[in-house]
Amino acid sequence: MEAYRQEIIVGAVVIYMLFCIVTGLWAMRRTHDSSDFFIAGRGLGPIVVALALFSSTLSGFGFVGGPGLVYSIGVSSFWMVVISSIGYAIGFFLVAKRIRMIAELRDCLSLPDVVAARYGSEAVRFLMAVTIVLGVMGYLATQILAMAVVMQAILSGTETFADIGLVSCVVISSTVLIFYCVTGGIIASVYTDVVQGAIMIVAGSLILMTAMSVFDGGIQEATSIILADDSEAIMPFGAAGVMASLGWFFVFGLGLAGQPHLITKMMMNKKMTDNRNILPMSLFGYVMAALLWISIGIIMRAAVIDGVVDPLALPDDAASTFLSVFANPLLAGIVFAGLFAAIMSTSDAFLNIGTAAIIHDIPKAIRGHSVKNELFWARVVTVLLATVAAGFALYSHFADATLVALLGAFGWGTFAASIFPVVAVGLNWRGASVAGAVTAISAALLINFSVQLAGIVLPYGISGPLVAFITSMVLFIGVSLVTKKPELAKDIDRVMQI
Amino acid sequence: MTRGIIYWIFAICALMGVILLAIGFAETVPNAGGVPHPEFPGMVVGGDGAARLEHIGGLAFAFNALLLTLVVCLSILGVSERHRSPKFLAAMAGSLIIMLLIWWAMFSTHQEFLRTGETGYFMGFPIPTAWQMYGTWLGAIPLVAIYTLGFRHFIFTEEDEAEFNALLKECQQEENQD
Repeated sequence: MEAYRQEIIVGAVVIYMLFCIVTGLWAMRRTHDSSDFFIAGRGLGPIVVALALFSSTLSGFGFVGGPGLVYSIGVSSFWMVVISSIGYAIGFFLVAKRIRMIAELRDCLSLPDVVAARYGSEAVRFLMAVTIVLGVMGYLATQILAMAVVMQAILSGTETFADIGLVSCVVISSTVLIFYCVTGGIIASVYTDVVQGAIMIVAGSLILMTAMSVFDGGIQEATSIILADDSEAIMPFGAAGVMASLGWFFVFGLGLAGQPHLITKMMMNKKMTDNRNILPMSLFGYVMAALLWISIGIIMRAAVIDGVVDPLALPDDAASTFLSVFANPLLAGIVFAGLFAAIMSTSDAFLNIGTAAIIHDIPKAIRGHSVKNELFWARVVTVLLATVAAGFALYSHFADATLVALLGAFGWGTFAASIFPVVAVGLNWRGASVAGAVTAISAALLINFSVQLAGIVLPYGISGPLVAFITSMVLFIGVSLVTKKPELAKDIDRVMQI
Repeated sequence: MTRGIIYWIFAICALMGVILLAIGFAETVPNAGGVPHPEFPGMVVGGDGAARLEHIGGLAFAFNALLLTLVVCLSILGVSERHRSPKFLAAMAGSLIIMLLIWWAMFSTHQEFLRTGETGYFMGFPIPTAWQMYGTWLGAIPLVAIYTLGFRHFIFTEEDEAEFNALLKECQQEENQD
């Protein structure tokens, strides 16, 4: 089997991509209007929503960047993972019920729709839609680049595709992504998410078992090796220190309820009562898949320190080196398919909310109505958005990384800081005002952009998104308290009391 | 009592901002955010852990204690005022106490390790890290349990469902009349 390692990996990835294409064709027959395209007609069952929710949370970053971070800074990065139970709980307490009720009551297709209904303000809708589009561009570009880099690494190991270029890999991977997103919209997206989620759970569990067998003394031997080299790296705050760790705890924990691609999925379940089952199922899936992040990182750091493996050229090589050195070919095939699954499940979610912002929300905020023939334009804009993001990705790789890095700053942290107060708090507090919302979003964008542009390094590993998040929370509540109490629409007022 | 929960949330966030400022102005140490590994490129080491916490240890402890309190306050905010019964609030208080105890156990066992240089292991990890890894993960399970098991009591009761359905019906009738 070892002799066919590369062929097995390529085969697993090809089977996975064919599955995505078939799902797109199947979902096309179920997509009749823009409501089906953007929110699956609010008709999804609890298992589908749960798997879609967690698989969209754990992007390619979880499979490549996560183990790389553990290799680089040790336990500090665990904080991004262990917050999942708090993050999902907060998300469901604050968002799941009300977003679903408002979506049904006002027939909302997107998060800006919900926000506009809650605040009765087109300005808030516009700001939210622009934030989403900027964030989507950054996220999509990095995800597409990650997909292409992984594909190139896999294919270049075969004789036939030994010289394949990055551009060809961007074209192939983006084509599959675009195909199923255009044909099947969110329906294709969530059903591929189900399989993607299942692959990620299996991959996480199998990798843990493999990791435990690398050293005779299991994980404890690995952690002892790290402890002997640098005790702080394996202690609770890791090499990056206490404030970097707690900053991630804050931004990734609370911030989960501010991620538009995740909370939009909370609008899609058929029955409100399914929420009680979706929460534990999502959490279970996330924990199982995240085992890969932790176990690969720990084993690779210990293996390099112990001289079992040569030092890595880049921390992000941790996962691929682990797979080539320690995993059998079949497992490597499953994990590489899982890696594509992780990247695509996040990408398709972003593509969908970005398209909604462009054809539905921004026109509605400016002209008072959406474009005509939304379904047609949704498909056109999906292609355009993915193509532009792929262009950004290639430009960033070959010419200048500044633009994508800048848009990349609109990642998790910016979404968390700008969207959490307005949505998660605003949907539960009738005193939240338009002025508070506009101030919070603007301040979050400004602080994150400034820190990124000016390259400001704060002491003790304090991050820009943490400062932005706390500032936007204080401003959101503070400004709302001192401005005139808003008059809510009757139906929204009643929903907020349920 | 919980009508003013938003003021608590505001106060906690403001206090966390003040702590961040204090940490920002605290005396710093060279390895505060880690330094490159002397042997392996791409790896970072933390170095002297006691030195890193010397000026900010207490502030960092307070910061996370406030963060955990904020988590529980936000969860309470997410529940309709009429369902914030003494039973619900007691469950929330219990969750907060569990999370704070886990945080205290993690912090104090780490301090103990920094003093003695010795640690035991639990399920593969040094004790302080095991508190972080398993404790933090499991510490929020009571919140998940309150949501899941208490869904029909606190989150979306049968009366809530009936009220929402009635509201939907009213809105649809109004739409039809227009």
